[in-house]
Amino acid sequence: MLDHGLKDRGTKDAPALDHHALNAMLNLYDDQGRIRFEADRMAARQYFLSHVNQNTVFFHSLDEKLGYLVEEGYYEAAVLDQYPRDFLHRIWNAAYARKFRFPTFLGAFKYYTSYTLKTRDGQRYLERYEDRVVMVALALARGDQAQAMAFMEEIISGRFQPATPTFLNAGKQSRGELISCFLLRVEDNMESIGRAINSSLQLSKRGGGVALMLTNIREHGAPIKGIENQSSGVIPVMKLLEDSFSYANQLGARQGAGAVYLNAHHPDILRFLDTKRENADEKIRIKTLSLGVVIPDVTFELAKRNADMYLFSPHDVERVYGVPFSEIPVSEKYDEMVGDKRIRKKKINAREFFQTLAEIQFESGYPYIMFEDTVNRANPIDGRIAMSNLCSEILQVNEASEYNEDLSYARLGTDISCNLGSLNIAATMDGPDFGATVEQAIRALTAVSEMSSIESVPSIRRGNDEAHAVGLGQMNLHGFLARERIHYGSAEGVDFTRAYFAAVAYHALRASNALARETGRSFAGFERSKYADGSFFEKYTARDWLPETDTVQALFARFGVELPTRADWAALKDAVMKDGLYNRNLQAVPPTGSISYINNSTSSIHPIVSKVEIRKEGKIGRVYYPAPFMTNDNLEYYRDAYEIGPEALIETYAAATEHVDQGLSLTLFFPAEATTRDINRAQILAWKKGIKTIYYVRLRQTALEGTEVQGCVSCTL
Amino acid sequence: MKDHVTRRAVPRAINWNRLQDDKDLEVWNRLTVNFWLPEKVPLSNDVQSWATLRPEERELTIRVFTGLTLLDTIQNAVGAPTLLADARTPHEEAVLSNIGFMEAVHARSYSSIFSTLCSTKEVDEAFRWSEENPHLQAKARMILDEYDAGADPQRRKIASVFLESFLFYSGFYLPMYWSSRGKLTNTADLIRLIIRDEAIHGYYIGYKFQRAMETLPEVERAALKDFAFALMFDLYEIEANYAEELYDGIGLTEEVKAFLHYNANKALQNLGFEALFPPAACEVNPAILAALSPDSENHDFFSGSGSSYVIGKAVATEDGDWDF
Repeated sequence: MLDHGLKDRGTKDAPALDHHALNAMLNLYDDQGRIRFEADRMAARQYFLSHVNQNTVFFHSLDEKLGYLVEEGYYEAAVLDQYPRDFLHRIWNAAYARKFRFPTFLGAFKYYTSYTLKTRDGQRYLERYEDRVVMVALALARGDQAQAMAFMEEIISGRFQPATPTFLNAGKQSRGELISCFLLRVEDNMESIGRAINSSLQLSKRGGGVALMLTNIREHGAPIKGIENQSSGVIPVMKLLEDSFSYANQLGARQGAGAVYLNAHHPDILRFLDTKRENADEKIRIKTLSLGVVIPDVTFELAKRNADMYLFSPHDVERVYGVPFSEIPVSEKYDEMVGDKRIRKKKINAREFFQTLAEIQFESGYPYIMFEDTVNRANPIDGRIAMSNLCSEILQVNEASEYNEDLSYARLGTDISCNLGSLNIAATMDGPDFGATVEQAIRALTAVSEMSSIESVPSIRRGNDEAHAVGLGQMNLHGFLARERIHYGSAEGVDFTRAYFAAVAYHALRASNALARETGRSFAGFERSKYADGSFFEKYTARDWLPETDTVQALFARFGVELPTRADWAALKDAVMKDGLYNRNLQAVPPTGSISYINNSTSSIHPIVSKVEIRKEGKIGRVYYPAPFMTNDNLEYYRDAYEIGPEALIETYAAATEHVDQGLSLTLFFPAEATTRDINRAQILAWKKGIKTIYYVRLRQTALEGTEVQGCVSCTL
Repeated sequence: MKDHVTRRAVPRAINWNRLQDDKDLEVWNRLTVNFWLPEKVPLSNDVQSWATLRPEERELTIRVFTGLTLLDTIQNAVGAPTLLADARTPHEEAVLSNIGFMEAVHARSYSSIFSTLCSTKEVDEAFRWSEENPHLQAKARMILDEYDAGADPQRRKIASVFLESFLFYSGFYLPMYWSSRGKLTNTADLIRLIIRDEAIHGYYIGYKFQRAMETLPEVERAALKDFAFALMFDLYEIEANYAEELYDGIGLTEEVKAFLHYNANKALQNLGFEALFPPAACEVNPAILAALSPDSENHDFFSGSGSSYVIGKAVATEDGDWDF
């Protein structure tokens, strides 16, 4: 007997669908071919009614709630004790008066599964969104009432969104670090490698992403103590690191994650890339560690001539030059090193190297790329940049440490940490005060730097104390442009991006200069920077960076955003040369995963990946996310990254890169029918246009005709 | 000796530049770029999530996977080799041997899941269960009967399409369900890779069936169609019982059945036949349906590997590309 399966299913009027099913309906067109946005709103509502509200601990008053949370050790008493009770009432009332609502199911779901404070058994919620925002503001303002109120306003309005570690942890009694991201050097000796593994464990345990530079480690087959063929090269070190990260992952609430960077001219480069091959042997396969390759200009020049590229033994380079390989500008010294008999070398074809790179990117999305010379030319700080981080947006100088045999420091170097936060471009443009929003964001990020001291890794602590480096990012570019009916990557889109980022750079520097005046100190090495001698400002005082198209001029005027002029920049130059800058680094544009969902933004300054995005994460499973501000009437402005193509994306990023002192996570998107040559051409274009780093390469495979899931929004047409 | 030589047709080398059917190359290309091995997926990231399942949920999951292993084993060891004998072009043979190999990879993958998540005892118990479960054994036998030597080539294709496009899905439902609940998400990635392959296998064999049908007289066509629907009825009956036995305990049977209806229609569609179940009976939970599409998933790279990467086409750059 056939059972039609109709019993027990809901009728049209009262669908028996839970919030997961309602949310998933977003990805399936209705019978008229329209996207069902209302299903997602119902999902968010349903989620609150049937889940959140029923599982939230109820308190009669704010005093009862705070008393309980401090008493039970959930909130850090010291954070609240800095403020009088009546102020706490005022700031909480002000926050709740904003009547915040999550516009999407994913935003609410992500917040409640990953951010909000829960009872120790993980079963019940202790915070609403407003509570989290206020606690973050109170913690970062460190007792300054006006400052706390200003931070709360910026965050709850969605203009400023602190990065996950800050937003998740601030104000909680037992918590991880507030900082997102760490970068460590590894030198060519066992002490440094051992220290790097220890640091990776320590930093992962505290919830940060860690990147390590392996360029200085001697290659496979290099001599040890003069005996040939002894070294095992970088692969076993990568294996140790990968295992370290997955071990620390088991202890902490957040995934341990790491990346390793290697210079393209390191002799192990092909082995390094082969670890991500689909058919790599289990002994060398690297599954969860991310890879990055540092490519100097000379590699492109060699490929252009279709010549071979030489790879240099880091061990020999260090003996010849007396400094580690990573300190050597390879492009500049290339011919000299090729001619030097004392440096052992091997060669591979440069074009084949690029093709291999693209093949591996096809199979795995890796490696990231850092264009070494572009990065160093744009670096206003004294010193060399030889690596980036887990998301390829942090670009800072570092300094080697030296160790004694017992792993204590013979000389304490500096390593890099960076705390991040992003502005929602649409909310920031909505105002009311563009410059003030940037300034508050820089102040909040600076507070995170000042409140952090990573004792377990002294080189990180020293780097942070001396640099107070922060990374202000941006998100929701595509959402904003689409809302204003401008196409991403169009002349107007690029024009807006350029003017917006120039204005952000101006206000970020202005804020850091104000901080230097208030505290009476600048970052270590300011006097040797291009800020101190004023040369950094030349490009801003020689010309204006105002919008060129009428549409974009009108846009800024309509939003009442005043853009800095040449005269403003000249005044800022004088002020910086006189009083300095508090933060060594100010901007870095991260990929913004989770926080952009909570903040109802498109990720970073990327185009959307799909009108309805399928998001999968370990902790939350598959969830569907509609692009912000999208309706069934403005779909034409929501062309996705695969439709927009690499050229328009690179144009947009180039316009922004011009005004960002660090980097921007740039992902390239290709249909699976593309070839390695298409990827290589995009890389060449990116390098030519002054892009600093490339993050992932992502592919989309369209279903073979006849095998697709019917009526699915995210499936390509 | 001489006789032997004359009886044998001239051995011919396969020439991919002379295609009798363009579909062979299209499918070959798709299958080869989709090549993968279970080692690619960081299954160990699911260990914590596995521990959150209740004992009966764990038992159910292992049983479902042993059931899937059995089907993949049949398809690898018997299904694909039998179809090979019916191939009409050398290219079809090549595609079928690829299909056979990937079925072995699939069967291997479930063991990777087991060795990562479960104890040997639990797994051994489940394999014993799979040998003793009457419904699982009945459907396996029913398919194997059609694969037997001497059976009609078109009936073999029908059986194969039903296995690839219909019988797997009572099992696939569970990992998709878990992943829509945020559980075993890396395992679900691996299963999605399998689904990606099976969808193409079912489609391709169904396509070959349709081409063969075009050459048959009306009366044979009608007979094959009758046979297909009769087999579907029989298999459906078994599947319904199988689903009840597995899923009644966690109250998902009705949802699984809707999913079976949906996939039964897809299997028939692959063969060029009309749907059996009305749309109202195929209202699959959207969370499951949407979970089937491997396209453009935006995952957190640090905790999973996703199912959208493929082996790319390598093309050398030319001088013009380096013009800067």
